[in-house]
Amino acid sequence: MSVGLKKDKTAAGMMVNIAGLHLKNPVITASGTFGYGEEYADYIDLNKLGGISVKGLSLAPRAGNPPPRIMETTGGMLNSVGLQNVGVDAFIEEKLPFLRKFDVAVIANIYGESYAEYAAVAAKLDGVPGVHALEVNISCPNVQKGGLSFGADPKSAAEVTRRVRAKNNLPLIVKLTPNVTDITVIARAVEQAGADAVSLINTLTGMSIDLDTREPHLKNITGGLSGPAIKPVALRMVWQVARQVKIPVIGMGGIMTARDALEFMVAGASAVQVGTASFVNPCAATEIIDGIHDYMRKNRIKKITDIVGTLKT
Amino acid sequence: MKDICVGLVAANEEIKRNYFLMKVALPAAFDDPLPGQFVMMRIAGLQDPFLSRPLSVYAFSRSQKGCVIELLYRVAGRGTGIMAGLIEGSEVEIIGPLGQSYRVDPLMKNIVFIAGGIGVAPLSLLAGHLGDTFCRETSSMTFFLGARTAEEIVGIELLQKYCYRVIVCTDDGSMGEKGQVTGIFKKEMAKFPPADTALYACGPRPMLKALAGLVGGKYKCQVSLEERMACGVGACAGCVAAIKEGRGKMAYKRVCAEGPIFDLETVIWQ
Repeated sequence: MSVGLKKDKTAAGMMVNIAGLHLKNPVITASGTFGYGEEYADYIDLNKLGGISVKGLSLAPRAGNPPPRIMETTGGMLNSVGLQNVGVDAFIEEKLPFLRKFDVAVIANIYGESYAEYAAVAAKLDGVPGVHALEVNISCPNVQKGGLSFGADPKSAAEVTRRVRAKNNLPLIVKLTPNVTDITVIARAVEQAGADAVSLINTLTGMSIDLDTREPHLKNITGGLSGPAIKPVALRMVWQVARQVKIPVIGMGGIMTARDALEFMVAGASAVQVGTASFVNPCAATEIIDGIHDYMRKNRIKKITDIVGTLKT
Repeated sequence: MKDICVGLVAANEEIKRNYFLMKVALPAAFDDPLPGQFVMMRIAGLQDPFLSRPLSVYAFSRSQKGCVIELLYRVAGRGTGIMAGLIEGSEVEIIGPLGQSYRVDPLMKNIVFIAGGIGVAPLSLLAGHLGDTFCRETSSMTFFLGARTAEEIVGIELLQKYCYRVIVCTDDGSMGEKGQVTGIFKKEMAKFPPADTALYACGPRPMLKALAGLVGGKYKCQVSLEERMACGVGACAGCVAAIKEGRGKMAYKRVCAEGPIFDLETVIWQ
């Protein structure tokens, strides 16, 4: 299916530019679902992807949460991996050289447990060859504020954005949590604080119980719900946010097919991220790219950007 | 590039209550699995169950037309329950073979396998592999196979072909010796000097934990661990086990990527 993709006009029409981040197509693999790229390199050609958002990076390596960490649910799954990662230094030294071999936008997803940690991780990634954008995960608990998520409060979400902005010149994407009363308030706050784009949604907090033992299925008790079960919620939030901010929106949440991806773009997303779908089908992201390409050809859409925010209400 | 292989179910037989043997015909592109490796399997075109299921490879054969993989599994939940309903000709999608295999030390005089219930599956492939590939005498191989009852003893016929001695035991004494497999092994331990013996084990966590207490620090023992998995290829970090690293440190290792085979002495039983 990919034969000739580079030459035809539709392929050129798939390019998107998100605040200076050039993507050959609007499909990015979502952080935490695609490792550091190498895990899936045997199954798909990473050169075909618009971008790869790598597993969330912290200042020091993190062991993550004790198992069991995952549980299947109806139309999705819960995870409480706990942001296990190699740390930003090991990422730059050990993981990035592999990714540099590919013609794909690499988005470094970062997080911290304090403003200082966010700033320090951002500083380490400034000017590093092969990193094309930052995506800031603000869903993690703020240890200094009793564990409340940075992303649940507009002031702390904005402060994280400012701190990262001050230390790094790359296009800055802030990834929003859906576990809030009004996501548009947070989106506006990070926009004003200097974010170049927002991505949403992160997982929805959920839980699952084993009735036989009356124990939670996850050791952590609660976890993040992902997969097609959350798509309607994600679509609603993307639509709401896209109407409230001027910066580009990257949509995600339960995208399994090209049609799902296109729905997010109609709702206002300039690009999309494919996450849990890769677990089910390692080729999901490239199949979605091919599917978008086919849709554009069949519907005579010259530029994919023409479809963004075209919802008729 | 590795492919997601589409396989055709050639047989899916209930060999004991809740225990099934599925044979799947696969294209020649599928690599030969090594003992201890697994596959991720899902029913083609079905969205529910959402995730693929990890299954140990029980047997494998290759012909000019393609290959056949055999999966011995127990119906443990919804996913395997739906799998049990597959009829001949059903299409399945398989990724694999995945994970690390058992490491073979050809110099060890004795090879001892300790399996609990469905844990027989990867060890049976290993016993066959040691015989066929490493020309190990059946007399060097002893297999301890335990389960709660006779109804849960599966795979014994193949083992008797590979191993000179197959010692069966059940918790209720309904087949073979009465007692748990670790206890029965303990009674025979003196016959297997640690310096000359390679131990391989697979079974439920409590069994492996008991074995760790029994052989810890004395024998070289490799075990196969089981965890719920999402991707099977190391991307999600969902299937981790707590493993000792050097200098008293602990790390969560991915059962799908660094495992499923681990040295028993490195496993931390929380």
